[in-house]
Parts: sequence; C-alpha cells; structure tokens
Amino acid sequence: PRPDVHPLPSGTHLLFAQSGRIEHVPLDSYDMKSDDAKTVLHLPGKVIIGVAYDCVEKMVYWTEITSPSISKANIQGGDPVNVIRSDLDSPEGIAIDYLGRTMFWTDSVRDHIEVASLDGSQRRVLIDSDLVNPRSIITDPPNGNLYWSDWNRDAPKIETSYMDGSNRRVLVKDDLGLPNGLTYDSQSSLLCWADAGTHKMECMHPDRGDRRKIMEGLQYPFGMTAFGKNIYYTDWRRNAVVAVDRYAAKESDEFQPQKRTKLYGITTAYAQCPSGQNYCAAN
Amino acid sequence: DATQGTVDDCSPCPCPTGATCAVVPKTREVVCTNCPVGTTGKRCELCDDGFFGDPLGESGAVRTCRVCKCSDNIDPNAVGNCDRETGECLKCIYNTDGFFCDRCKDGFYGNAMAANTADKCKPCSCSVFGTVGGQLSCSQVTGQCPCLPNVSQRDCSACELGFFNLQSGSGCERCNCNPIGSTD
Repeated sequence: PRPDVHPLPSGTHLLFAQSGRIEHVPLDSYDMKSDDAKTVLHLPGKVIIGVAYDCVEKMVYWTEITSPSISKANIQGGDPVNVIRSDLDSPEGIAIDYLGRTMFWTDSVRDHIEVASLDGSQRRVLIDSDLVNPRSIITDPPNGNLYWSDWNRDAPKIETSYMDGSNRRVLVKDDLGLPNGLTYDSQSSLLCWADAGTHKMECMHPDRGDRRKIMEGLQYPFGMTAFGKNIYYTDWRRNAVVAVDRYAAKESDEFQPQKRTKLYGITTAYAQCPSGQNYCAAN
Repeated sequence: DATQGTVDDCSPCPCPTGATCAVVPKTREVVCTNCPVGTTGKRCELCDDGFFGDPLGESGAVRTCRVCKCSDNIDPNAVGNCDRETGECLKCIYNTDGFFCDRCKDGFYGNAMAANTADKCKPCSCSVFGTVGGQLSCSQVTGQCPCLPNVSQRDCSACELGFFNLQSGSGCERCNCNPIGSTD
C-alpha cells in the first residue's frame, strides 16, 4: 500500500538498498530477473546502508544513517516499524539470527557491535574494542558464529566470535584492503568477502583457513550475498548488482537499476528458511 | 485519477524534469520516484549520500548537489561523510575536526590542510606533570601545551634551567645551589 511498492512473489530474491529505497530482484534459479525488479520500500530522504532478511517472519530489516535508526517492514508491503532509534551514530551492517530471534549490527562511529532482540529489546554491546571501521556483519545461526569485517586502512581484518561475543578471533588480516562485503554460505560452509582495495573476491572455510581467490578485477564492491553457486555484490563504480559464478570464477550477469546512484547493502531473501537447528537447541 | 473523465484527471508530476512520480494510496501524497542524478527525496529536494546542496532552493538560493568538501580529510570508502544540506563534515579522519575537517581536533596540533598526511595533526602529548590542570590540549598551531610555572618545552616535559622537581605537579622549584660550589 505504498507508492511504487509491490507485494513480492514467492521464490527467492535479492533485496538491496539504493538511495532511500529497498529494491527487489527475483531469482529464477540463479538468474536475476531484471525485468521484474521492483521497489519493495520507498523511504524518500533516507540513506539506507545495511539490509537483512528474517526468513521466519518474512521481514526486511535495515540500517539508516540520516536519522540513525534500525527499522523493519514486512516485504509484502507492510509499513515500516522503527526498532532502534536511540544511541546510534552510523549503523552500517546488520544481520539476523533467524533461529535465536536476534539481530546484530555494526556502528562505524561508536565502533561497536551490538545485539538486540528483533523487537529492539534486550539490547547490549557485544564488542567494543579494537574496531576502527566495522562494516559488514553476518551470522551463521546453525553453528552460532558471527563474522564481521573492519576496513581500517591501517589494519583491515575479518573477525569471528560466537554469537555472545566470546571466543573472538581474527580470521584474516594479510593482503586485505577494504573488505566491504562479507557473506557466509551455510551449504558449503564458506566465508567469502569482496575487497574494494585489493579488488578481489576471496573465500575460505573459517575452520580450515584454506583461503582462496575466486576473482580479481572487481571495481568497487560494497555489499555481498551468496546464493547457491552464485555470489551477488553491489558495486559503487558500476551502480549495479553483479552476479559471480563461484565455480566458474567469473562474472555471469549484471543488473543496473534505472536510477544511477550508489547501491549499498544486499541480502538474499530465501523462499523458506534454510533447514538447521539452533546450536543451543540440543543444550 | 484518470477515470474521472475531465481534462484535469492527470496532473504533471511535481518533480524536476525527467522524474516520474506516484501517489501514496493511503495519504494521496505525491512522491517523486525517479529523481535526477545526485538528488533524492519526495520532491527530489535532497542530495544523495556523499553530496550536499539545496537542489530546489528550499532554504534560500538553489545550490546544486556537490561532492562533500572536507579538505581531503574524509575517506571515500565511508558512508555519510557530510550533511546533505549544509555540507558539514561528519566523518573527519587524520585527527581533524571542524565544519570542513579544516582544523585539528582537541588534543592534536599541526596543519589540518597539509598535503601530506604525516604533516597533518599530531597528538599534543602534554606532560601530565608539567601542564596546567593536567590539560591534554595544546595550541592548534604551535602545539604549545600550557605549562606550569618554570616548566619548559612544547609538551611541558622539562624544568627550566636552574629548576627541578617536575613531578611535584605544581611547577618546578628553584635549585638554590650555592653559586660558589656549583658548576654551570
């Protein structure tokens, strides 16, 4: 019931932020159906950075920096609801633990990682040290892991911890530039990142540390999301969503919205939640 | 409303040339949906992230959207670098501060506008013992910390010649050496 807003068809699709809008591109197996791309949410005047999807309640969550806040809306065209509006300076990445019903976000001015229930209650700071420019954050709910990137120009890194902030470790720190985008594919247990400094896309198994390059020559990756064999990232230079076939190690498609301005966060909205048990369920 | 059958059924979009618009069904509000490059907002009255201006002249003269002007003291990989209307810089780096990241932030001194980042803003590092009130800030330009009596150096870290006991925290005391038995 909003302007230029359309209920989403069933099936998996991509959600990404561009200039006060959250856009949607349906996926036909792995192909972006560019002709059916639509605006799910139009928030004129807002600058939306991070987007995340809750597959249980079919809600999209986003961070916004003009009046720093975290909000959510049903992707079938529901009205936006403010979840967090105080004590935020520059919220960027956001991630949902669809099993534990919590959300995590980075704040690049407070240099914090915080957690709260999906309604904004039970909020607390999870990580508040050794962060300079925290950006992307992602969850691996079945294993209870959290991953985030920090593009600190002097010492960029990718880190992990449990979802309660304990067992924090640096996973990657060498040969990084500006690791803006991060994604975790639970099927292959691969953590992948897109770097706007080295212009590379790389992946590794967080447990094994077997880092490998997927692609070189990316232009300016910002957000990133994995779906099956594909990885999709937003590019600041091309103002486009770029699809990369992980196995063929090459770009397979590009979607350039009509509006020519920067694209920010991107996430995969699954038709159904991935199967998997909460790591706490057995305990 | 194109179904009323009058010449006024369709009104032009209240948007800059080239933009399209839509009506919010609930409120009947008209919102521009395809603002020109660099602009955004209900009426394309705002600048995109990383730009500032007043493209419709809503609060004065028309100022087209321009890239944030922050004395080269912002990082292009950051988001929300300046206020989209006033241009006030919000994410100064290299220890700079101010509307245009044009001065050193408190506790730092030097030349925020220097071309070389190493020459920009250095920490005052005022001596806790030799500085008035244990102050941590210094002169923006020279870096001189406010020294207690008989304390010298830029960072107030030493006693003047003929004085001792910097650690007292209330300035240095005269040595009172006997001129006959002392060298220097």
